[in-house]
Amino acid sequence: MSAKKLNLKDKYRLLTRDLDWEYSYADRKKAFPYEEFEGIKITDWSKWEDPFRLTMDAYWKYQAEKEKKLYAIFDAFAQNNGHLNVTDARYVNAIKIFLTGVSPLEYQAYQGYAHVGRQFGGAGARVACQMQSIDELRHVQTQIHAMSHYNKYFDGFQDWTHMHDRVWYLSVPKSFFDDARSAGPFEFLIAISFSFEYVLTNLLFVPFMSGAAHNGDMATCTFGFSAQSDEARHMTLGLEIIKFLLEQHEDNVPIVQKWIDKWFWRGTRLLSIVAMMMDYMLPNKVMSWKEAWEVYFEEAGGALFKDLARYGIRMPKFVETTEKEKEHISHQAWWIFYNYGHAAGFHTWIPSDEEMDWLSEKYPDTFDKYYRPRWELAKKMEAEGKRFYSQALPQLCTTCQIPMGFTEMDDPTQIAYRSSDYEGEKYHFCSDGCKHIFDQEPEKYVQSWLPVHQIYQGNCGGASVEEVLRDYYKLNLGADNLDIKGSPDEQRWKEWKGVA
Amino acid sequence: MTYEVTVEPTGDVIEVEEGQTILDAALRQGVWLPFACGHGTCGTCKVQVVEGDADLGNASPFALMDVERDEGKVLACCAIPESDLVIEADIDVDPDFEGYSVEDFTARVISTVDLSPTIKGITLKLDNPITFQAGQYINLEIPGVQGSRAFSIANSPSDPSIVELHVRLVPGGAATTWLHETLKEGDELSLSGPYGQFFVRKSDVKDVIFIAGGSGLSSPQSMILDLLEQGDTRQIYLFQGARNVAELYNRVLLTELAEKHSNFHYIPALNAPTAEDQWQGFTGYVHEAAIDHFDGKFTGHKAYLCGPPPMIDSAISALMQGRVFEADIHMEKFLTAADGADSETRSALFKRI
Ligand SMILES: Cc1cc2nc3c(=O)[nH]c(=O)nc-3n(C[C@H](O)[C@H](O)[C@H](O)COP(=O)(O)OP(=O)(O)OC[C@H]3O[C@@H](n4cnc5c(N)ncnc54)[C@H](O)[C@@H]3O)c2cc1C
Ligand code: FES
Ligand SMILES: [Fe+2]
Ligand SMILES: [Fe+2]
Ligand SMILES: [Zn+2]
Repeated sequence: MSAKKLNLKDKYRLLTRDLDWEYSYADRKKAFPYEEFEGIKITDWSKWEDPFRLTMDAYWKYQAEKEKKLYAIFDAFAQNNGHLNVTDARYVNAIKIFLTGVSPLEYQAYQGYAHVGRQFGGAGARVACQMQSIDELRHVQTQIHAMSHYNKYFDGFQDWTHMHDRVWYLSVPKSFFDDARSAGPFEFLIAISFSFEYVLTNLLFVPFMSGAAHNGDMATCTFGFSAQSDEARHMTLGLEIIKFLLEQHEDNVPIVQKWIDKWFWRGTRLLSIVAMMMDYMLPNKVMSWKEAWEVYFEEAGGALFKDLARYGIRMPKFVETTEKEKEHISHQAWWIFYNYGHAAGFHTWIPSDEEMDWLSEKYPDTFDKYYRPRWELAKKMEAEGKRFYSQALPQLCTTCQIPMGFTEMDDPTQIAYRSSDYEGEKYHFCSDGCKHIFDQEPEKYVQSWLPVHQIYQGNCGGASVEEVLRDYYKLNLGADNLDIKGSPDEQRWKEWKGVA
Repeated sequence: MTYEVTVEPTGDVIEVEEGQTILDAALRQGVWLPFACGHGTCGTCKVQVVEGDADLGNASPFALMDVERDEGKVLACCAIPESDLVIEADIDVDPDFEGYSVEDFTARVISTVDLSPTIKGITLKLDNPITFQAGQYINLEIPGVQGSRAFSIANSPSDPSIVELHVRLVPGGAATTWLHETLKEGDELSLSGPYGQFFVRKSDVKDVIFIAGGSGLSSPQSMILDLLEQGDTRQIYLFQGARNVAELYNRVLLTELAEKHSNFHYIPALNAPTAEDQWQGFTGYVHEAAIDHFDGKFTGHKAYLCGPPPMIDSAISALMQGRVFEADIHMEKFLTAADGADSETRSALFKRI
């Protein structure tokens, strides 16, 4: 018989391991300078199991096919004036948040994976990260193309990269990824591949994608499915990195646990914006945030952490707090935006009577008791021509950068304040989770670029808030911001739909 | 009309009957291919057709994409050959898997003994010799019972005309009740085998730990007999779990083996000994006996687990906390129809666990 043919695994092995050079005249440690400082111990890179065995030519073939299908749908969407098929003009504000808050994270992911794809000593890990890096670049590109159609018809899409780098609430997602990318390569993978892409991804993508499907937005829905087909690979990378680190050395276990604690909490804070999107911004609701949290975190995450317990890993710290927060967080977040609607790059509104009934039904223990009265009051004031906007700039949490509006979870009438002193300065936090994260690495978080501080320090131009919004954030005042009611978006929508 | 299918990279050749799927034929002929759902929805059994034509059968469009169809990929669990084929599968050739072919046998009962109040030992003589790897199992047909039932072979492969089974009576179980109450010497039964990926990875020289619960002694007994017969010198530890002394069967046999072979260590554990038992040995669950013996540190061992799913679950946790991981843990879970019923959410962290 002739020599045995190679199987796919061996072929992939040859492809990757051939990239593993012997360091005969150079110092290996200098070639991979970031591999040790986090304290992670790798004893044998050959134990890395390639999470997906995809050769480069197969990769391009698959991706080309996906692109072809996707752009055919985008073209059809544009030709058929697809924007007219969405449920109503309010819906589009959800995807303004996506374009300004999430798509730039795809770009950050592209940069982050390109960076760590150079830094790991193991060739398998390097190749996996490089492939994901290209995926993420594709994601951001397809999203920009999908959204460019909406940019022709609605306000708030025009300066999304600029806004992402400057606007106060967009510093929440931006600082999340900055934090991950400025960490070491192993922490980056635990943060993004494991905690975010594996544990929490369904809470980001499912709401946006099914939200799009339920609200007639074919473009967003399709780029979502196309991106999701890459996610199976990204999620397996998340699983491989955690298994690999936990199996390589027992000293890695407490380090990984610390990172899981940190990134789980950072992730839940980031998702508060998704929570309010689901409960308040979608004209056709998919499910409540609370239900999504129960299905995608409590059930699926529960099974995962049951398996991880075999390695000596426990549930993330502060998971008990999230169990209470699922009842409150979406209501409090939308309330913050309603109060600062003049400073946002999208429109806000008071939930309609039917929407409030839906919220009562989904949140029987909290909505009528704590949140309905607020909205009824806002409605009354609006009817009397007294729509209010908070003029004072809010204090921000030093860790998650969200305005300090979240409450104690055992007393939803009491705003939660935590603080730490570090080198003679006081730092403020929205929660025990955020304080804990700061206390672990104060030297990192004292450098946070907090938008409100920056305004007060005069680093964002103009003397007045209005100047900052107009000149520094480049918000198109009177068009991008304020209530949907009376906005140019709403006027155009009514004209297209022929309603008065 | 049959077609010949060559499976790369191993070069194995299988005969596929008219209308038979590639997967069914492969498994029947001892060629292992990855599979899970068995009916075209999960995509686990995807293979590349290199030469020849096949009908795709009921492959779901989500499990087999359009591009993949164009590239000649098929799902082995539903693809039916329309000519001789060469296929390429994503298989790790386990260097220790012998791949003996599955055959049908007629067997005569030559003895039945009550090994314990709940476990019956059944010895069968086969019409033809069976070639199997110690640790594998057979599927047994029981008169008047729908479908076959899996039982592991407890004897060493050195006598290929004999199959010895240890059958635990499952309360309310159709087949095991019949085997316990109706079966008698001289009866004839049909069975097929051998099946399974539970066998000793002999090429790996690490010392081995067996953890057996209840009738889960069957496979380990066969594997240990085989190792010792072959003069294997690695250290072999057997932890056998039972409720009490009456349930602790084959104790004499195993104690004698341990006396004869200095590299075989036998550690029985009882979790509920009675007062009359006057038990001097380890009291507690079988995985706790292993923790106790190794002081919780298992590094450098391979582990083979066999028995009821809850026992296996505890043993895996104990081993992993003692830093032996998935790649070195092999197991046979004695699943019954009751286990399939509760399908709780599963994480994707482990492949085989
Ligand atoms: C690979 C393998 C090897 C094995 N080796 C051995 C061995 O060596 N020795 C051994 O003793 N056992 C072994 N087993 C276990 C053995 O196969 C089962 O105990 C046997 O199949 C039970 O068959 P039964 O007909 O008696 O029970 P069944 O009639 O199949 O019922 C089993 C149990 O499930 C309940 N049940 C039935 N149907 C359902 C349903 N739809 N939903 C919920 N509950 C249901 C019944 O009430 C009963 O309690 C092995 C199993 C596997 C998978
Ligand atoms: S085994 Fe699931 S598709 Fe074939
Ligand atoms: Fe992405
Ligand atoms: Fe991703
Ligand atoms: Zn915070």
